[in-house]
Amino acid sequence: MRYLIVNRRRLLIGAGILAGLAMVLPLWGMTLVSTQYPEGLRMVVYSNHIRGDIDEINALNHYIGMTRIRDGFFPELRLLPLGLGLVAVGCLFAALVRRIWADLLPLTLMIAIAGYGLWSMAHRLYQFGHDLDPTAAIRIAPFTPPMLGQNQIAQFATYSYFSWGTFLALGAGGLVTLALVADLATRRRPSRRPVGAVSPTPSGVPA
Amino acid sequence: MSRLMQWAAPLSMLGVAACGGTKPVAPGQRAMATGDVQSAALATYVKPGDLDTYYLFYSGGHSGQVFVAGVPSMRHIATIPVFAPYPGTGYGFDEASRKMMGDYTWGDVHHPALSKTNGDYDGRWLFVNDNANNRIARINLRDFKTAQILGPIPNTMGNHGSSMVTNNTEYALVATRFSVPLGSKYESLDDYATKYHGAFTGIKVDPKDGTMSVGWQIMTPPFDWDLGATGKGPSDGWAFWTSYNSERATGKLEQTASQRDRDYVAVVNWKAAEQAVNAGKTFESGGVKMVDPAKVPGVMYLLPCGKSPHGVDVEPNGEYVICSGKLQPTSTVFSFKKIQEAIAKQDFTGNEDGIPVIRYEAAVVMEVPVGLGPLHTQFDGKGNAYTSLYVESAIAKWKLPPYAPGTDPKSVVLDKIPVQFNVGHLVVAEGDTRHPQGTYLVAMNKMSKGRHLNVGPSIPESSQLIDITGAKMKMTYESFTEPEPHFAQLVRRELIKPIEFYPKEENKDPDAVWNPQDAKVVRHAATRTVEGKVYAIRSYFEPGRIQVQEGDTLVLHVTNAEQSRDEIHGFGITAYDKNIVIDPGETKTVKLVARKSGVYPYYCTNFCSALHQEMQGYLEVVPLGQVMGLYRNNQGEMFATSQQKAAVAKRDVAQR
Repeated sequence: MRYLIVNRRRLLIGAGILAGLAMVLPLWGMTLVSTQYPEGLRMVVYSNHIRGDIDEINALNHYIGMTRIRDGFFPELRLLPLGLGLVAVGCLFAALVRRIWADLLPLTLMIAIAGYGLWSMAHRLYQFGHDLDPTAAIRIAPFTPPMLGQNQIAQFATYSYFSWGTFLALGAGGLVTLALVADLATRRRPSRRPVGAVSPTPSGVPA
Repeated sequence: MSRLMQWAAPLSMLGVAACGGTKPVAPGQRAMATGDVQSAALATYVKPGDLDTYYLFYSGGHSGQVFVAGVPSMRHIATIPVFAPYPGTGYGFDEASRKMMGDYTWGDVHHPALSKTNGDYDGRWLFVNDNANNRIARINLRDFKTAQILGPIPNTMGNHGSSMVTNNTEYALVATRFSVPLGSKYESLDDYATKYHGAFTGIKVDPKDGTMSVGWQIMTPPFDWDLGATGKGPSDGWAFWTSYNSERATGKLEQTASQRDRDYVAVVNWKAAEQAVNAGKTFESGGVKMVDPAKVPGVMYLLPCGKSPHGVDVEPNGEYVICSGKLQPTSTVFSFKKIQEAIAKQDFTGNEDGIPVIRYEAAVVMEVPVGLGPLHTQFDGKGNAYTSLYVESAIAKWKLPPYAPGTDPKSVVLDKIPVQFNVGHLVVAEGDTRHPQGTYLVAMNKMSKGRHLNVGPSIPESSQLIDITGAKMKMTYESFTEPEPHFAQLVRRELIKPIEFYPKEENKDPDAVWNPQDAKVVRHAATRTVEGKVYAIRSYFEPGRIQVQEGDTLVLHVTNAEQSRDEIHGFGITAYDKNIVIDPGETKTVKLVARKSGVYPYYCTNFCSALHQEMQGYLEVVPLGQVMGLYRNNQGEMFATSQQKAAVAKRDVAQR
């Protein structure tokens, strides 16, 4: 606990960096493997764009009438980087302002983003597997690609997995939570000064 | 734990990607083959000097050629040019082959079919279709050369459903792929459903020399006709074709022609069609006698089949007809007997343009769940069928009927083997005859990525050899080919008996010369034509000097006077885009207009002997206004210089 309290600011700065990194690292991925594609076809979702063999996946998916995945298609990918950016700024802000609400700000934002992200993803996956063009060449039963794990669609084994960005965002959340715990712990003390902290500067402005 | 497993796979995938796939290993470092791999290698190893067991004739698709390989070694032995020029054999450069090719320089070869006697291969001819220019060709297997190209076949656009040879090679049957207005007329595409038609054609084959001619045609509704098969045994006299676009749609067919759950198999009584033609129950279109099956009952029926079928095949006994819907994961087995009963009872559900549609349930035996994207089926003669699965990239082995009552369709599928990748056709040794061999199966795959050294964006097709002698199929070998094999014929080597050279006595060319003294060049001043008879033998041409005036037309008949195997001579003329290759005992004619004055060496292009390099001569194209200087006799015959002539005479005396 003492360690947390001493390093509270570092925790928050660390959380800010992790959230910032989550903005630019892949969050989620899907790999499709079949005999013809032993090397796998990948779709990798970043906070603000999608990468991978999207054109090839689109070309294959059109046989069963799935919607074409294309750039600027997901409004989520405009909100996500903004949200993560706010979280990062919020973390740094909380590092400067030692208030409980300042810790709660990025944490709440983070939970909201995670909730929104997961919900919209589940929603998208359902949509993609269910809004099939009724005039498509091959008609198959609607399906939902898994968010996590494996399933088989036609000749393709599909593997879905969360990636570094998500883990780092989770880590950022953990760090902010720890900082919050530290703040809550020091709050019960009569002195608002953390144990072992240096004296206030003569001007009285907290460093 | 299961969660862990789910994670392991994608992570390992990423790992592979990060390393850039398999690392190349130097030949010396290759691991020794063991177990199954080793026995497979031994099974396909044909040691230097040994002969393969089977000939594999595979179509070369849009390369316009036919490839010949040996099985089990899969070694490519020969390329037979059919619809495209091939400098390697001089095909398409001499006058005869140019004339045979017509105005086309390519064709789209799809389905080779060997001639048959009593439903088995007789090794005489190989028929191949041209999907592009509505033609059909016959290769004579006596010399492995294209002997005849017939076409364009009237009322036909896209000769794809071809070449299906009947049991005794009475006919090579053809179906048009694209429906068009009959008689090369124009009709608006808006009227596709009513004013467009397809056609089946009976290409008559002369039983003695194989000469083909257009026999008759059957008019069909405007579907797109796909692959066909001829009946055998009880179904002899019948033919079957699959169709797509029974929707009669135009525009993006991928979608518009995939809307119905079932398309049709055409069930055609070609003997009845032949009788109708003989009885005069025809009309004429494009100069061909055509039967309207709506007006002549008994010629044609339609049978619903799984969505967008591609292949239809008749098993060796001729009782079961297998049709595979490429968008339905099943192969449908029909009984020919049941089809006949349904026809007799008029068990129809309706008609298309007056052609009865047989009730599906009345004819079907079973829908066998073979796998995704079934295309073609071949047989081993031991009661099993093998179906290629395009989408799944696999071959399924399954049991043919009869089935016990209540048999679970899943239990009928006996084995499955993955292939690399996207298999189109497959061929079993003599797998479309009455007596398949049941030894080897060749899977002809459309894709081969990652299976060979990288050769840039355009990669070869792969052909994989599968041993089907046991209960389980065994992958034994893979080889690679140029674009683009479709179907193939795999036939025992004993059935093919090619000659080793053309006997001199058989050469009926009036311009052939067998003696250097008979070689001569004549100039017809009136027509400005120079005609020459050229004698070619190891290692010289006679004459070694030919003179024409600028603007003259030069016609040369080159005879290869050798009577010894593989003593082939080429005749290439520099800068004139001409190369003919003449087999021993053959005479070929080359024609050119000498537009550019100058001196143009001609030389032997096919390595012939130690002095092959010395086998050369000069074509002098004398500029207009300049006097030609060759020795000329009273008849206007033109020779090499008198000194040369004397030298030749002296040498010939010395040789005797």
